[in-house]
Amino acid sequence: MARDDIPTDERLDLRLERTIDAPRALIWKAWTEPEHVKRWWAPAPWTTVDCRIDLRPGGIFRTVMRSPEGQDFPHETCLIELVENERIVFTSALAPGYRPAAEHLGDDCTGIPFTAIVTFTERAGKTHYSAVVLHKDEAGRRRHEELGFHEGWGTCADQLIELVRRLRR
Amino acid sequence: MTNQPTSLDRVFHALSDPTRRAIVSRLSRGPASVSELAKPFAMAMPTLLQHLKVLEESRVIRSEKVGRVRTCEIEPGALGRAETWIARQRAVWEGRLDRMEAYVAGLQSEATQGKEKKHGKR
Repeated sequence: MARDDIPTDERLDLRLERTIDAPRALIWKAWTEPEHVKRWWAPAPWTTVDCRIDLRPGGIFRTVMRSPEGQDFPHETCLIELVENERIVFTSALAPGYRPAAEHLGDDCTGIPFTAIVTFTERAGKTHYSAVVLHKDEAGRRRHEELGFHEGWGTCADQLIELVRRLRR
Repeated sequence: MTNQPTSLDRVFHALSDPTRRAIVSRLSRGPASVSELAKPFAMAMPTLLQHLKVLEESRVIRSEKVGRVRTCEIEPGALGRAETWIARQRAVWEGRLDRMEAYVAGLQSEATQGKEKKHGKR
């Protein structure tokens, strides 16, 4: 039931694939139980101080990330589709209960509307992890930029370098 | 799907090396000549030039030769706009996947130790 048929746009969307050496039931658990999610959701030195998951379509998937300065960033998304051990689909475009979400105005990463389709497929005792993250249109992206995403080339370059360094670790 | 690496892939590749990141960090404060860039590094000039070539081909930086001096600067655009935006989204999700993978490996080795399974690989 891989969802490779979802149309994506490489300027806007992300596709991540990875084979993980763990049974998919364990990965499902890590993704769907708050006490586990809290352990890996935020990048250090940020922490995830709260997580609430109501594991049903229309249910809440909420995280609160705390910055190193102690500021909290709550983020609520709506679960859309759940197939145990197989697939989890959620979006920030809807609030829990399917109510259309308010406009996102945050200038941090969590303020960007997205729909994530995360699929786990068993392959010889390992799990093939696939995530497709769909973003809104160019207009949404530009607005996001206007909201002050850019603080000068130096900051951008440094941030990107830091992120790449973290990815390579 | 295309086999051509996207420009984003090239940017990430260019930044996957510590020397190149140091060069970009230096250039993010303003343009510099090749000899200025060479100063902090204890490496042969051809090696440095090779790094500059990778950065230039990925369009992270650009350079111009005036007389005998080649000056490098950040290419406005490569690290900005769409790529920074999408790179940042990618970094968020990949970072999350890295952490989830490491976390699950930890859970699994706990479970393995608990049940004394033969296969105790992380």
